[in-house]
Amino acid sequence: MRQRPWLGPAVTLVVAVALWFYPNLVDAAGWPIFYLLFAYTVFFWVTQASSWNLFTGFSGYFSFGQGAFYGVGVYALGVLVVKRGWPLLPTFVVGGLLASVLGLFIGLVVFRLRRLRGEIFALMTLAVAFVLGAVARISPTIDGGQGIPLSSVPTPDALGTHPQMIFRLGLITAVLAVVVVQVVQNSRLGWGLFSIRDDEDVAETLGVPTFRFKMIALGLTSFLAGLSGAVHALQVSYVTIEEVFNIRVPLMVILMSILGGTRHWMGPVLGALVVHTMSDRLNRAGLEAVSDIIVGALLILMIVAIKEGLYLRMRERPLVTAIGAAVGVAAGFVLGPLDSAVTHLAYTLLGAVLGAMVPVGRRRRPQSGAPATQTIEEVVGG
Amino acid sequence: MADLRFEDLVKHFGGVHALDGVSGHVDDGEILGLVGPNGSGKSTLINVLSGHYEADSGRVVLDGEDITDRPAHRIIEMGLARTYQIPRPFSTMTALENVSVPLMFGAEPKSPGEAREAAREWLEFVGLEAYADEPITSLNLHQLKYLELARALAARPRILFLDEVLSGLNPAEVNESIEMVRRIHDSGITIVIVEHLVRVVTSLATRIMVLDRGKVIADGDPGEVMRLPEVVTAYLGKRAQSA
Amino acid sequence: MSLWTQSIVSGLLSGGIYAMMSLGMSLSWGVLKIINLAHFSFILLSGYFTYQLAFSYGWDPFAAILVCVPVFALAGMALQWAFDKLRVSEFESLLLTFGLFIIFESIASTVWTADFRRMDTVQNPYQSQSVWLGDIALPVPQLAAFVVAVIVAFGTRYLMEKTDFGRAVRALSQDRDVARAFGIDPHRVAMRLAGLAAAFAAIAGVFIAMSRALWPGLAVEWFGIVFSVVILGGLGSTLGTLIAAVIIGFVGGVATVVGGPPMAPLAIFLVLIATLLFRPQGIMGRSSI
Repeated sequence: MRQRPWLGPAVTLVVAVALWFYPNLVDAAGWPIFYLLFAYTVFFWVTQASSWNLFTGFSGYFSFGQGAFYGVGVYALGVLVVKRGWPLLPTFVVGGLLASVLGLFIGLVVFRLRRLRGEIFALMTLAVAFVLGAVARISPTIDGGQGIPLSSVPTPDALGTHPQMIFRLGLITAVLAVVVVQVVQNSRLGWGLFSIRDDEDVAETLGVPTFRFKMIALGLTSFLAGLSGAVHALQVSYVTIEEVFNIRVPLMVILMSILGGTRHWMGPVLGALVVHTMSDRLNRAGLEAVSDIIVGALLILMIVAIKEGLYLRMRERPLVTAIGAAVGVAAGFVLGPLDSAVTHLAYTLLGAVLGAMVPVGRRRRPQSGAPATQTIEEVVGG
Repeated sequence: MADLRFEDLVKHFGGVHALDGVSGHVDDGEILGLVGPNGSGKSTLINVLSGHYEADSGRVVLDGEDITDRPAHRIIEMGLARTYQIPRPFSTMTALENVSVPLMFGAEPKSPGEAREAAREWLEFVGLEAYADEPITSLNLHQLKYLELARALAARPRILFLDEVLSGLNPAEVNESIEMVRRIHDSGITIVIVEHLVRVVTSLATRIMVLDRGKVIADGDPGEVMRLPEVVTAYLGKRAQSA
Repeated sequence: MSLWTQSIVSGLLSGGIYAMMSLGMSLSWGVLKIINLAHFSFILLSGYFTYQLAFSYGWDPFAAILVCVPVFALAGMALQWAFDKLRVSEFESLLLTFGLFIIFESIASTVWTADFRRMDTVQNPYQSQSVWLGDIALPVPQLAAFVVAVIVAFGTRYLMEKTDFGRAVRALSQDRDVARAFGIDPHRVAMRLAGLAAAFAAIAGVFIAMSRALWPGLAVEWFGIVFSVVILGGLGSTLGTLIAAVIIGFVGGVATVVGGPPMAPLAIFLVLIATLLFRPQGIMGRSSI
C-alpha cells in the first residue's frame, strides 16, 4: 500500500461536495423522490457499516452491538427532541455521545477479562440490545411500550425540503464516518488495532497500548452509530422498541462489511452499496423472505470462501471485475425490466461482484536473501 | 546502561509452581543464558519479566524503578523487548508491516509512514529485505525467527530476551543465528537467552543461570556452572532419562 | 405473600427450561470451541415441530421428543461435520452459525408465519395441569422440564466422568493433538458431542412448545438468558449450568414480582455483568466438565 494518507479523505470530501448538489439535480431533472431516499438509505448503511468496521473489522473484536448503539441514537432523538423539546442539531451529537457511554461501559466490563475477552464481548453486545429494549419498555420516560411518533419533529429549512434534508444529513454523517475510518486506517491507532486483531498479546509486548486503543475505537464506533441513529430517526415516522432493538442492524452491517472486506475502509462502503441495492430490488420484487435467506447464505459463503472481501478481490482483479460489470450492464438490457436507474445499478454491481469472484491469478515468490553484514549502529544511523 | 533485578518472583498455573521464588539480576552488557530442563520455569521467567504474564508475587526493578505491575506496553518502552519461542508474527500483515508496528510505539513513536521506512532497514539487518512486501506465509521458520528478531530490535531495546531462538533450526541455520546474536550483542544490547542446546549456550553466554522446578539452583560462569553436581543431576540427568 | 412464593417457585422452575436450553450450548462452546447460534434455531424449530405434530396428527407433545431428538441430533452432527471439514475457528463459527440462524429464522417465518402459534388444550392437555404443593401451583410442562433437565444434567455429568466417551471428550477439550495421540478420533467424538448438544436443544424445544406460544422472533430473546446461564455456570460445566439456570430463573422470578415482566431481562443482565466482573470463570470454572 502506498503511503498517501491524505488522498482518501481528500477524494471523499470532493465526492461529498459533488453529491451535495445531487438533490438539486434530482429536482431539476424531475426524477422521482425515491432517488433521494434510496441514496439516503445507502448513506445510512455506509455510516453504520463503516462504524462497525472501525472497531470490529480493525480490532477483530466481534460486535453484535451495532443495533444497540444505533437504537440509543434513535431514542435519544425521540425522547429529547419530541418529549423534551431539545433543539435538533445538538441532540444528534448527544445521541452519539450516549451511544459512546454505552460502548465504553461494555468495554470497561469486558476488556478487563484475561481469557475469552473476544467471545464474551461478542455475546455481551448481543445481549445488550435486548436489555436496552427491556429498559425502554419499563421506563415511561423513554418509551413505556407505547412507541414515539416522530413525524412532528421541526426540521431546519436551510437543508431544503424534507427528503433533501434527509439526504444531506445522511451524506454528512456518511462522510464523517468514512473520513474517520480513513484517518484511523492510516494512523498509529489503525495499525495498533490491526496488530490487536492479529495477536493481542504480542501487540501489547511490542508497545501497543491495547486497552486504551480498544476503548478509543469502541468509543468512536458507538458515537458514529448513535449519531447515525439519531439522524435516521427523522426518516422514520414512528419509533417502536421492536423496530429498533432487533437483530436487523447488526445483521446487515456484519454482512456488508464482511462482503466488502474488513481490512480497508472501502470494504464496508462497497458492501453497503451492493447489499442495499440488491435487497431493495429483491424487496421491490416481493421476495422479502428470500432476501433474508440470501443474506444468511451470502454471509456463510463469504466466511468460507472469500475471506478477504470483495473490495480487495476487485482491486487485485480489475479486469475480470470490469468485464463482469460490463456483462451486468448488457444483461440488464437483455433481461430487463430496466424501469429504474437502481435496477441498472443492481445489474452492474451483481456483474462486477460475480466477475470478481472468478478464481484467477497467482502470486510470485521472492528469492531468499542472506543476512546483511551491517551493524545496528548503521541501521539506526541510516 | 541497564540494571534489571528481580526478587522472589512467584507464578503458578493451577497447582503448578512455574516460578517458586526466583531472584536474580541482569548485568549491563552481558549475555545471560537461562537453562534448565523442560518446565523448569525459564520461559515463564521471560514472560513475567517482559510483562506478558503478571507475577503472583515478587518484584521486578529496572534502574531502581519498580516495574512489576507495569503493563507490557510500558515495559518495552523502558527498553525490555522479547521474542517468542514459536514465532508469532501478525498474520495479516506483510513482513515490513510487522516490523513497522513497534516503531510506531514506545518512547519515540514514529508516524506509520516513517515507521515503514525505518522498518525496511531492520529487515535488511536480518536479511529479509527481499520479503518486505510479502505476506508472512511465504517465510519459513528460520525467517520467521529473524522477523521476530527484527521486530524486537526495532523497539530499540537495552535488554533483549530471546526465547529459544534456535529451536527447530537445522545446524547451518543455528550457526547463522548464533552469529546474529553475537552481532546484536556487539552493538551494545544486553541479551538474556533461553536455550536448551546446552553446548550452544555455554559457548555464547557470559553467565549462566540454571533453573529447576521454578527455583534457581546455580548461577555463575558458564564453564563452572555446568559442572556443578546439582546441575548435572537436575538438568543433564533429567535430559538423559527423557532421551 | 403467596404471590411472592408462587412467582419465585415459577422462576426456579423455569430454570429447568433454561438449563435444558443452555446445556448443549455450554458443551459446544466449552469443549468443541464452537459458539453455535444455530443451537437457538434448533430449539425453535423443535418447538414448531412439536406444535405441528400435535396440530396435524394429534400427537401427544411428549411423543414429539421421539421425532425431534433424532432429527436434531443428526442435524447437529451434520453441522459439526461441516465445521470440521472447513476447520472453522471459534469466531468463524459464531459468524457462520449467525448466517444459519438468519436462514432458519426466515424459514420459520415463511412456514409458520410471524403469528403466535400455540397448541390448544386438546392438543396439549398439560399446559393447564398443575401439581399442587399446598397452595403453590407447579405447572406440569415446567415441572417436567425441570425434572428432565436435572436428569439430563446429572446423566451428562456421569457420561463425562465415568465413561470412555467422557474421557475422550475431556481429552478433546484440552488438546486435540494430544487426544489424537491417545488414539481418539477427534472428529468422531466431536460429532457425537454435537449430536448430544443438539438433542438437548430438541428436548428444550418440545418443552417450550408445551408451555408457551411460539413465534419466529422468540429465538433472539433467548440469547441473553442462555448466554448468562452459560457464562455464570462456567463453560462446559454441566452442574454449573444447572445451578446457574436455577439462579437465573430465580432472579428473573423475583424481578418479575418487583418490577413486572420487562424487569426480568434487566435483572438477568445485571447478574451477567456481576459474574464477568467478579467471577469470570463462572461458578463451576472451566476445568470441571
